[in-house]
Amino acid sequence: MEDKFRDKPQKSQSDGDSKWLDAHSDPLAALYSFTQCMTLADLHGDGEHKLVIADLGTGAYNMKLKVYKGTSLMSENTIIDLPTGVVTFLMDTDEPRTPAIAVASGSYIYIYKNIRPYFKFTLPPLPVNATEKDIWDQVREDKIDIKTVKELLDGIRSEVTESGLTTRTQRFLMLAPGDVEEFVSQHKHSPLKRQTVITCLDTLRKSMADDDAVSCLVLGSENREIYVLDPEAFTVLSMLQIPSVPVFLSVSGLFDVEFRIIAACRDGNLYTVKRDTTVVKPSAELNTQPVGMVRINKNVVVGCMDQTLRCYTTKGKKLWTVQTPAPITTIELMDHQRHGFKAVLVALTNCQVHLYKDKYLVNVITTDSVITGMKFGRYGREDSTLIMINKGGGLLIKILKRTAQFEEGAMVAGPPPAQALKLNVPKKTKLFVDQTMRERESSVVMHRMFQHDLYRLRLNTAKSYVSSLESSLNPISSSLSEPVKLSAQVQGMGPSFRMNIQLTNTSKSTPSRNWFLSFQYSEAIYKLEKYYIPVSILLPGLTYSFETRIECLTDKGISDQIKVMLIKEDSTIPVITAVISMPVSEGQELA
Amino acid sequence: MDPMFLAYSYFRRRRFEDCATACGKLLEKNPYDQAAWALKMRALTEQVYVDEVENDEEGIAEMLMDDNVIASVSRPGTSLNTPATAQGPTSQAVRPVSQSGRPLSGVVRPGTQSGRPGTMEQALRTPRTAHTARPVTSASGRFVRLGTASMLSNPDGPFINLARLNFSKYASQQNVAKALFEYIFHHENDVKNALELAAMATQASQFKDWWWKVQLGKCYYRLGLFRDAEKQFRSALQQQETVDTISYLCKVYIRLDQPITTIDVFKRGLETFPGDTHLNTGIARIYEGLGDLNNAVKYYKEVLQNDNTNVEAIACLGTNHFYTDQPEIALRYYRRLLQMGVYNAELYNNLGLCCFYAQQYDMTLTCFERALSMASDELMADIWVNIAHVALGIGDTSLAYQVLKLALASNNDHAEAYNNLGVLEMNWSHIDQAKSCFLSAMQNGPHLFEPHYNFATLSEKIGDLQSSYKGVKKSLDIFPEHIDSKKLLEKLQEHFSML
Repeated sequence: MEDKFRDKPQKSQSDGDSKWLDAHSDPLAALYSFTQCMTLADLHGDGEHKLVIADLGTGAYNMKLKVYKGTSLMSENTIIDLPTGVVTFLMDTDEPRTPAIAVASGSYIYIYKNIRPYFKFTLPPLPVNATEKDIWDQVREDKIDIKTVKELLDGIRSEVTESGLTTRTQRFLMLAPGDVEEFVSQHKHSPLKRQTVITCLDTLRKSMADDDAVSCLVLGSENREIYVLDPEAFTVLSMLQIPSVPVFLSVSGLFDVEFRIIAACRDGNLYTVKRDTTVVKPSAELNTQPVGMVRINKNVVVGCMDQTLRCYTTKGKKLWTVQTPAPITTIELMDHQRHGFKAVLVALTNCQVHLYKDKYLVNVITTDSVITGMKFGRYGREDSTLIMINKGGGLLIKILKRTAQFEEGAMVAGPPPAQALKLNVPKKTKLFVDQTMRERESSVVMHRMFQHDLYRLRLNTAKSYVSSLESSLNPISSSLSEPVKLSAQVQGMGPSFRMNIQLTNTSKSTPSRNWFLSFQYSEAIYKLEKYYIPVSILLPGLTYSFETRIECLTDKGISDQIKVMLIKEDSTIPVITAVISMPVSEGQELA
Repeated sequence: MDPMFLAYSYFRRRRFEDCATACGKLLEKNPYDQAAWALKMRALTEQVYVDEVENDEEGIAEMLMDDNVIASVSRPGTSLNTPATAQGPTSQAVRPVSQSGRPLSGVVRPGTQSGRPGTMEQALRTPRTAHTARPVTSASGRFVRLGTASMLSNPDGPFINLARLNFSKYASQQNVAKALFEYIFHHENDVKNALELAAMATQASQFKDWWWKVQLGKCYYRLGLFRDAEKQFRSALQQQETVDTISYLCKVYIRLDQPITTIDVFKRGLETFPGDTHLNTGIARIYEGLGDLNNAVKYYKEVLQNDNTNVEAIACLGTNHFYTDQPEIALRYYRRLLQMGVYNAELYNNLGLCCFYAQQYDMTLTCFERALSMASDELMADIWVNIAHVALGIGDTSLAYQVLKLALASNNDHAEAYNNLGVLEMNWSHIDQAKSCFLSAMQNGPHLFEPHYNFATLSEKIGDLQSSYKGVKKSLDIFPEHIDSKKLLEKLQEHFSML
């Protein structure tokens, strides 16, 4: 019995992928999207769930809202700006119950009904800095010259930081001097507005907890605010300032009764907002950036940039931490309602997706490429489908087998396998023992001999070192005042070569001036394009490159050395010399 | 004395020039004297004869425009082009690699030193010096340089004017044809005409002479038609098994990058010629090229069983023992080489190192001194670097510094010396000098991971995390199992993800 039990973990690890069926794989789907921009919903009320993806296109243009039905693309809508989140929600109580799609993009939320544009919500504008407004007013009336505008705006920037300025000012300060005039004349008559950008989007049921109840939109902005929007009139129901920029939201409860919004923020803290909260304090400090957050019952699981998966209670108490084998790209909740099974899917940069039930790894899916976006839920008519988008833009759909069972705690970590390995330490040979004996017996003689040889070696080395210094044969100058390093390489097959020479001044702060490069070579064999290269200045720390063409004049298949010398202009002795052994010229034999 | 007899006598005494002049005199008297003509051809051929089997180096053109490649990404252990990663007993940290990423061998052979660049640009941008340059094609550079005949101009025109030769006439005369073929192939280095002659001759002998098939194969090999060459060699082997033909066939397979097949062919050859040194050495070389040192050692030992004076086997076994932490045994092997009369700087250098690491200190420096006294300039640099290791071993950093500088003076692009000098400078906290040393080491030794790792460590110390990250990435590209690099990378990742 015991043996059988021990075998189990290995087995479940190896057949990790066998719990999933490959339903569809399109490596050329060309999708560029993330977990937040993917959602699954029954858009037409026909019981068939569709996949809604906000595609980021190239990141600059070609942003699209794509709806997939089964394995094919059903519809495409162009989005103006980069999407930051997609959710579906029920706006009203009309029959049939078809949800609307909300796409957060820039400072707007676009609402689609029946996959057609329906409404655009704009975030309320922010107050504009008074001085900034003043300056632009003056610009409009041409009372001020553009250079002063730039200086003044720059001044404001240092006061209120970049995010306190309007986009027009931000853009203006980024422009090259040549483009400024045109920009000003184009924009000076339009009213000055300061808007913020939506960073994350989620839904919150309004008054009933049913699956098909009306939901409010919850969104976080770059201006460190969280808004709750009314689903019918699109008015701001509630607004709250939090200390940092929210990047992931986790929402639970009902708006009219009691709700709790947990926001993972860019400063690495979790903040909790409740219905009656006025002052927000961090509920948990991560000390690292979050890369994803999901809620399981009353806990939140946060994937962090330091390769950890952490679980916190809603109150902010840490329950556990798991170290992942590679950095996390995204995480997603796997809610298998029929089995009552909730776990976290964690995509890693080592092309694997790990499934964690609590803190136990229960399944590993291996993919061809790094997964950037995942969604688990009902797709088509299949309840438990996992949709993945990889880094190369491929779309992968897997279906969980109905018979699949995940064993909790199946993959327990034992002692690492390296512990069982034996090191290959060579045995001490008899020869070694004999030599040690010799060493022990005649240690004094050996030591004396060695010391004697060492003194001689030191002397000889010092002698040759001095002679190499005198003839400046070294490619590194050792003079304390002007340390310079020379390196030279030869490229080409011949008969023409190119010699690249790099000079580096390795001193701390003193630039060296007035050098020149000269060459010594056999004129019968080589012809140099430049035999004198002036080097006016060498600034410390920079590498200067010089080059010259070398023509090989002989076809006898012989080669020679070329000496490169760096010489001070008023001196006759080179400071450093590099000797280049030229390769044999082969070009003529080919010709 | 009969002048013909005298010419034969010269030929047997390997006085080929005298033989050629004697034959020339005979031919002046009687231009149709076939015996003299054939003898002169053989004499001229012998002057420039190069062993085809051993001498082979892939040129840049063959390497990059290789249209025989079957899989561009081959499975580990099936290709000589992608070195196996850390197979066998030693890792890169212990046993240094050559530029091709293979563990250092005990002897220098064509193809053991230079690497196989990935792209044309890389090949052309690699700095070339006389020490590192690889020929453009093996058809032009190398053979012309080795067989210098076509470089020397005869005062009264070439001995035979190939353009005016009637090949079909000579092809049927078996006694002259073979000498003529060798003359054309080796002396004139004219593979096309040689092929024509061989094709006619093999036809004339009704495809029954294996010798002509081997020659045909040699011609096809030179022309880069490896599949045709393979057919000829295979067919020759069916008629007559010789070690030479087996070696040629293996050469073809090596060029086709099929090391496993090569080993098979060698092993089948060993069934006919059990214990043949050449075949065993061939197998050992392939295993060495694949990085499978355990098997390589096994076959080198086999070689020594049959020929206990084989220099290559002794040297390779010595090197292997040295790098598997048994310098005392390596010392024995090298001493054996010395007893056999091998007397050069490399050997003394190795003896010195073995003595030092086997704690026989009294002999160490004497050996190095000898090595220095007979070393060439490039070798000198290597010896100085090894002396620097000894100096570091006894803790004399200033001596090590001087010695490394001397190494650089004798060879300006010695990457290892630059790297070690950089480490010394780093320890003395001369940051800028150390940095530029590491940069030079990277430039000159693209196969070394040490300068990248050292550069990364230095950058990390002075707070330049971005450069450090780049350096450590490169180091891990070259040596994926390097523990210190991995640790540094972990540390950097911690830094980057910290808030």
